[in-house]
Amino acid sequence: MNDQWTTRLSEYIDGELDRTEQAALEAHLATCGQCYATLGELRQVVARAKSLSDTPPATDLWMEIAREIRREKAPARRDRLVRRRFSLTVGQLLAASIALVLLSGGGAWLALQPLASSEPTRFGGSTPRPRVGQVVTWTGHTDAAIADLQTALTQNEKRLDTATVRIVRENLAIIDRAIADARVALQKDPGNAYLNLHLANTMRRKVELLRRVNDMAAARS
Amino acid sequence: MPRQVLEDTLTADSIAADSALAASGDATAFERLYRTHVARVHTLVRRMLDADEADDVTQDVFIRAWQKLATFRGESAFGTWLHRLAVNVVLARRKSVGIERGRFINDAEPLDGVTSKPVTLELSMDFEEALASLPEGARQVFVLHDVEGYRHEEIARMLGVVPGTSKSQLHHARMALRRHLER
Repeated sequence: MNDQWTTRLSEYIDGELDRTEQAALEAHLATCGQCYATLGELRQVVARAKSLSDTPPATDLWMEIAREIRREKAPARRDRLVRRRFSLTVGQLLAASIALVLLSGGGAWLALQPLASSEPTRFGGSTPRPRVGQVVTWTGHTDAAIADLQTALTQNEKRLDTATVRIVRENLAIIDRAIADARVALQKDPGNAYLNLHLANTMRRKVELLRRVNDMAAARS
Repeated sequence: MPRQVLEDTLTADSIAADSALAASGDATAFERLYRTHVARVHTLVRRMLDADEADDVTQDVFIRAWQKLATFRGESAFGTWLHRLAVNVVLARRKSVGIERGRFINDAEPLDGVTSKPVTLELSMDFEEALASLPEGARQVFVLHDVEGYRHEEIARMLGVVPGTSKSQLHHARMALRRHLER
């Protein structure tokens, strides 16, 4: 089992021999039953490795993780922003607050543009630019689009199978929770650019999901 | 749209939503991410290290993920990002417990621990047990290459060895494991 080719069998399986080496090994395999058998076994090992399944830990590790992250309060992004805020001068704070307000409104408007262009009957070219600091106002058109799509889904979902409806509802619930969380956070900090963008992106995700499911139901009619 | 494709899309959507929420400090969203990915992370850690370290290291992976979520920009799937983070934590652990690079490279007979066992015992072991009994260098290369799909060049960079060493360890691992194929 120690001829010069045995150690090259794995490279052969992985396609890492050059053409000359490959031809020489194949010529050897034609005459060496032991190497040929070993090659078959190694191929089975590779296939077995790919079929291994994942198993969860025997005990739930979340409690310890939750305890640790509670100490941290929030991921690094929030810590960095807080630290930076306290290091600014009054002039820098003023400039930053103006930029933040502009970014908040503009970012949300930009994030909502694909909705406007793909919903001509409702948004046809006249989507108003969101007013700075008025969070409830800029979500109005998207809220209306979502309401329409949800009404359509209520009528269409009988065309979908039960499992699909269940998955769609679960995912809509997740997105709704995210939207609700973002709205609560924005009530406390209406000018926060990150929260505005996050809300806009989450609402867009909901619209996209509703459209996809409605399209799928329509295709089955 | 086929149902499986829809399910995958919806799952990806909810994971993306949860990763954004978690990055903004939502621990409930992070728990959902934990529940979705813990089996994959724990299995990777258990195969790469000793089983008795798996729980501690898995917790460490998720705590670091929470700390680093602000750096996750959604350019790859969250699962891919988390998996790479887990590999990095495992490799850092490997160094911290004193498994020095020289020993890895110079491990001339990496399979002594396996081949010296009685044949009857070898044949009674299942594939996972046999994998766990491999010497660490061979086991980690095998897991990274054959189970996780990394290339030799990537493995060599991660482990601080040359690609030839990675290839050699992989072949030794496969040769040992072929005795434990279920018959």
